[in-house]
Order: sequence, then structure tokens, then C-alpha cells
Amino acid sequence: MLKYVLKRLLAAAVTLFIILALAFAVVRLMPGSVYDDPNLDQAIIDMLIERAHLDKPIHIQFYYFLKGVVMDKDWGTSVKVEPGVPAFQVLANRIPVSLQINLISLLISVPIGIVAGIVAALQKNRGADTLISVGVIIFISVPSFVFASLMQYFLAYKLKLFPILYQPSAVGALRLKSMVLPIAALSLSPIATITRYLRGELIEVLGSEYMLLAKTKGLGRFKATVKHAFRNASLPMMNVIVPMFANIVGGSMVIERLFSIPGVGGTMIKSINANDHSLTVATLMFYAMISIGTALLVDLSYGLVDPRVRVGGKKDE
Amino acid sequence: MNKKLNSRLAPEDFVLVQLDEDLFDDSFVGQPVSYFGDALIRLSRNKSAIIAFGIIVFIIIMALFGPAMNQFGYNQQMVDRVNLPPRIPIFAKFGVFDGTRILYNRQVANLTDPSRYPEGSILETVRTFTSRDIAMADIKADMYKMHDVPDDINFWFGTDYLGRDLWTRTWRGARVSLMIAVIAVFVNIVIGTIYGAIAGYYGGKADMVMMRFTEIVGAFPQSILATMLILVLGTGIRAIIIALVVRGWIGTARLIRAQFLRFKGREYVLAARTLGVDDRKLIFRHILPNSIGPIITRAMIAVPGAIFSEAFLAFIGLGIQAPEPSMGVLLSDAQKVLTSYPYQTLFPAILISILMISFNLFGNGLRDAFDPTMRGVD
Repeated sequence: MLKYVLKRLLAAAVTLFIILALAFAVVRLMPGSVYDDPNLDQAIIDMLIERAHLDKPIHIQFYYFLKGVVMDKDWGTSVKVEPGVPAFQVLANRIPVSLQINLISLLISVPIGIVAGIVAALQKNRGADTLISVGVIIFISVPSFVFASLMQYFLAYKLKLFPILYQPSAVGALRLKSMVLPIAALSLSPIATITRYLRGELIEVLGSEYMLLAKTKGLGRFKATVKHAFRNASLPMMNVIVPMFANIVGGSMVIERLFSIPGVGGTMIKSINANDHSLTVATLMFYAMISIGTALLVDLSYGLVDPRVRVGGKKDE
Repeated sequence: MNKKLNSRLAPEDFVLVQLDEDLFDDSFVGQPVSYFGDALIRLSRNKSAIIAFGIIVFIIIMALFGPAMNQFGYNQQMVDRVNLPPRIPIFAKFGVFDGTRILYNRQVANLTDPSRYPEGSILETVRTFTSRDIAMADIKADMYKMHDVPDDINFWFGTDYLGRDLWTRTWRGARVSLMIAVIAVFVNIVIGTIYGAIAGYYGGKADMVMMRFTEIVGAFPQSILATMLILVLGTGIRAIIIALVVRGWIGTARLIRAQFLRFKGREYVLAARTLGVDDRKLIFRHILPNSIGPIITRAMIAVPGAIFSEAFLAFIGLGIQAPEPSMGVLLSDAQKVLTSYPYQTLFPAILISILMISFNLFGNGLRDAFDPTMRGVD
């Protein structure tokens, strides 16, 4: 097991390093630079370029960059989005905002999805199931930003139930209220994904022999489902839920923009458009870490639950 | 129990029905049903899939011919017809999409000025009030009259902030989005199929190396990879397609590899090989056809994903270049004026939603049709 964990950790570290190198190269090779500003004095530009080692070949630049990251956690300094602030600090201010929204959304989706999935499986092909299935197909298909726009217009603008945009400076109830719409927009698709998965799993095991045994024992249909079928289905479900978190974080880029949430997504978009290279690299790395971290978590839990995985390759999808 | 029953029956109890001639069917009564025929029969019984297919066909036809259905070009800017609300003659009778709009906080004194409010442009006064001792009013106005648009010109979906006809742009956007999605999915399927087939068929070292490579590529997060690629390649249709392909083929490759591992040891493959069929023919003529069903299903389900990715990239500012529209570009532009001109969001949002629901429903129908054991799983 230890060997397996080490192997996976090493693989993840290598991938992260490759992404870092690629991100660095890509961003540096991008056309345009913040220093193209015609209002800047040439002497100042030269000084800035020299300080950022931009006059050296790219692999030397990468060496300086790596050294900074490893030695002083220095990811470079933002030059345009928040001039003068270290990129690490910019992100440190924004990550909590993003994570807050994303984690709440995940925490809400899991129980709702589970309940809906169980109800749908128990009521298979009856009214409630049909209703849930229609909801699932709609929530999975329609993009989150469409829902976000709809809710912004009808719930926030027309009915004035919620603020249209996120209120970062508000405190207490108003701030919570301003978080409702983005969280709802982010949660719909995960809820539908969990529901669909759980319903499928449960329907498959409901006809199995141990369910018949549970029934024979005198367990009611609901109890048998929750105690036996759900338990069996819930372990593989972790492999749906954990990667979903990476999806939520990725998807929240757009939602953050729509609701003006001062999170990582907005920072990335701004930094790309402003040629703020250090910040772009840092945000790219944040997203890479989230999705590689979740993938690692899935791999390790697979290995823990299913010993066959440790020996052979990855389970086929 | 059987024994008891048997013991009660004596040979005399049995009577031969007939012994005169051998019994044969004179001809085969049933029709042989091919794999695809069988799937087609099952698909045609799935009502939602058929409706979804109809909608997809309709949208494709509209995407092809919709932009040419009026005289306005997708990039024809009309500065005097900016942000006109939609006007659809049939609906106008019922008071929706009639080209009117409520204008807030107008000075009452100006309302009679024909240079600002031409004859007949004010339909009714919704509310009057005074602010800082000036009489103000909210009015419902016919925007077409206000901008001096002739009665016979109707912008069915309205116009945008540059006065471009949104009917033309919406359908052209649908065309661009569908094109990006279909090309990306097609390339993904072709690459994935060939890659997976080779890995699965040859197995051994080749398989190990090839699968390790997919694992490495697969470790990159899709959104990061797409962002970085577009930063390098610049925004454009080709760049988006490449960004969708780079990692998209892996799923197909794994699927096809698994199929090959399953089928390559079958007797019919051995028989074909004994007869001297070469590798290429074995792969593409004998083993691959087994996977046609899953491949088609996968392609159909991947299309909405690609449409979503395109829209996603447009929203984070990495969409295709103006003035070319796409579903993502339209939605992202409209989002900026959501509260003032909600109709600009409405039509692309409905279109993309219907398109994605239809593709998913049709994809599910195809999967059920090709693989009935999966039926009802979701």
C-alpha cells in the first residue's frame, strides 16, 4: 500500500511540475506585455524588465522563478491587477471566497442528490421518479450560466428576493443572501449528477439477492434500501463526488464572473486580459492543484477500497 | 414429485400426433433483423429520443438557413437601430414581443417634443411622479416608432448594442457552436478509436506505453489545458477545436481499448487470422464494428459537452474573435446588459438549453437502443 501511495504522490508531483513549466512557458511566450505601455519611460521599462529577469533566455527565467517559489514562496508580483502585491498574496485573499462558495455548494448538493436519488429509485417509473428524471436531464443539460442568468433576472431583478451581485463588503444576513444565487447556480448540475448516479446504482442492486434476503428478514422497503443498498452504492459514489469538486471549482470561474465574486476565477480572467503574467501562472497552478489533488484522492481511495487496483493498472472507466 | 407423476403415466397414455411425414418449415417465416435494424426498432419506440432527434434536425436546418432568412448580415451594424426589443408579428397581438419597452424617468415636458418622441411612439403613461419639482413619467413606448423603423421590418429576436440583427446572429452562432462541437467530437472519436484499437489489439508493451501516455495527458485538468492552449494559439475557431481535442480523445481511446481486449480473443478473430487476414483488416473490418454502437452513443453525448466548453471559454474571455458570433459569445455579450435588455439573453439561452437537452435525450435513447441491458439505469 505504501508503495502505491508513494508512486501516486510522485506521479502527481511530476504532473504538477510539468504543468508549472508549461504554464510558465506559455504565459511568457504569449504576445503582448504589460510593459508595452507607451506612457512608460524606456529607462523604467528596462529596469523593470531587468528586475523580472525578462532579458534572459526563458530557461534562466524559469530557474529564477522556481528558485523564488521554492525558497521564499515568491510567485512573482502582480503588475496590473493589483499592482505591487505579491501574486501569492493576491491569491491568498481570494481563495477563501472561492472555496467558501464551492464548498457550500458541494455540501448542499450531496444530501439533496442522495435523497432525490433514493426517492427516485424507490418510486421507479412512478410519478416522483418521472418528475426527478425530468429534473435531472434538465439540470445536467442546461449550462449553469444559463440558470445563473435566469435567476439573476427573475429572482433578483424582477422579484427583488436576492441581490443581483455578490456583496463582498456586506456582513451577516445580507451577505448570506447574496451568496444564495451563485451557490444555487453552481449546485444544480452536481445535484443532478449525484441523483442520476445513485438512482442507477440503487435500481441495479434493488433486484439482487441480498435485498431479497433483507426483505425476507422483515425489513421494510425503505429501511432495506437505506441500510443495505445505499451502503453498497455509497462507496463508489465517493468517486463521483470527489472529482465533482474539481468541476465545481472550474465551473465557478464563470459564475464568479457573472455575480462579480472577487474569487480566483475572476482574477484569472483579469490577469489573462491584462497580461499580468505572474498572476496568471499562480492562478493556473491553483486550479491544477485542485484537480490533481482530487484525482489523487480518488486514486488513493480506490486503492484503499479495492486492493486489485494497487496491483494492476487503473480500473477502466 | 416428478417420479410420482412419471409412475402414474403409462406408455399407452401417449398418442402420436402424426407419423406420416417429416416436419419442415417450407420457408423461413421470420425476417432476419440486423444489429442496426434491431437498434433502430428500439430507438423508434423511444418517444423522447425521437422528439429530441426532430428538434436537433430542426435546429441544424435553422442554423444552416436561418441567417439567410432576412436581409440583415450577421455583422451589419445599424447605429440608429441599437438595442431594439424583439417584434414578432404573430405574438404582437397578444402583447408580447411587440417591440415595446418601458422607459423610466422621462420628463413630462419633453414627451410632446416630436423630435424625441415621434408621433405615435408613446403608447401609454405607466406612472407619473415629481422629482425635484419636475414632472416625470414612466412611459411605455414603441421603440420601432421611436427609431423610425418602417412597420414591415421586424427584428424577431431584437438587435444588440451595435444594432446587429439578433435573429441572424443567433442562428449563425448556433451554426458556429455546432460546427466547433461536431468537428471536435469527430476528431476526438477518430483519434481515440485508432489509438485505442492499436493499444488494445497489439497489447503488451505497446499497450502499456500507450496507456501510460493517456494517463499523463489525462492528468492535466481540461480547463487549464484549454486555457493555456488558447493563450498560445490565440482565440479562434481552430484554437478552440484544438483545445477540445487535446484531452478529449482519451475517453474514446480507453473505451475502444477495452472493447478490443474483450473481442480480440474470440474464435471468429482466430478463424479470420487463420485464413490469412492481415492486422489492419482484422482491426477495422472484424473487431471494430462491434464497437460502432458505443462509439455513436459516445459521440452524441460528447456534443453537448463540447458546446458547453465553447460557451465556457467565451465567458472567460477566450471565445472566438468578434464579430463572429457563437452561443457562448452571444450569451456572454448579453449577460452584460441582462437587466436592461433581457431578451438578448433569452433567445440564445433557450436555444442552447434546448439543444443540450435534445442531444442528451437522443444520446440516452441511442445508448438504450444499442445496449438494452443499460435501459432504465438513468
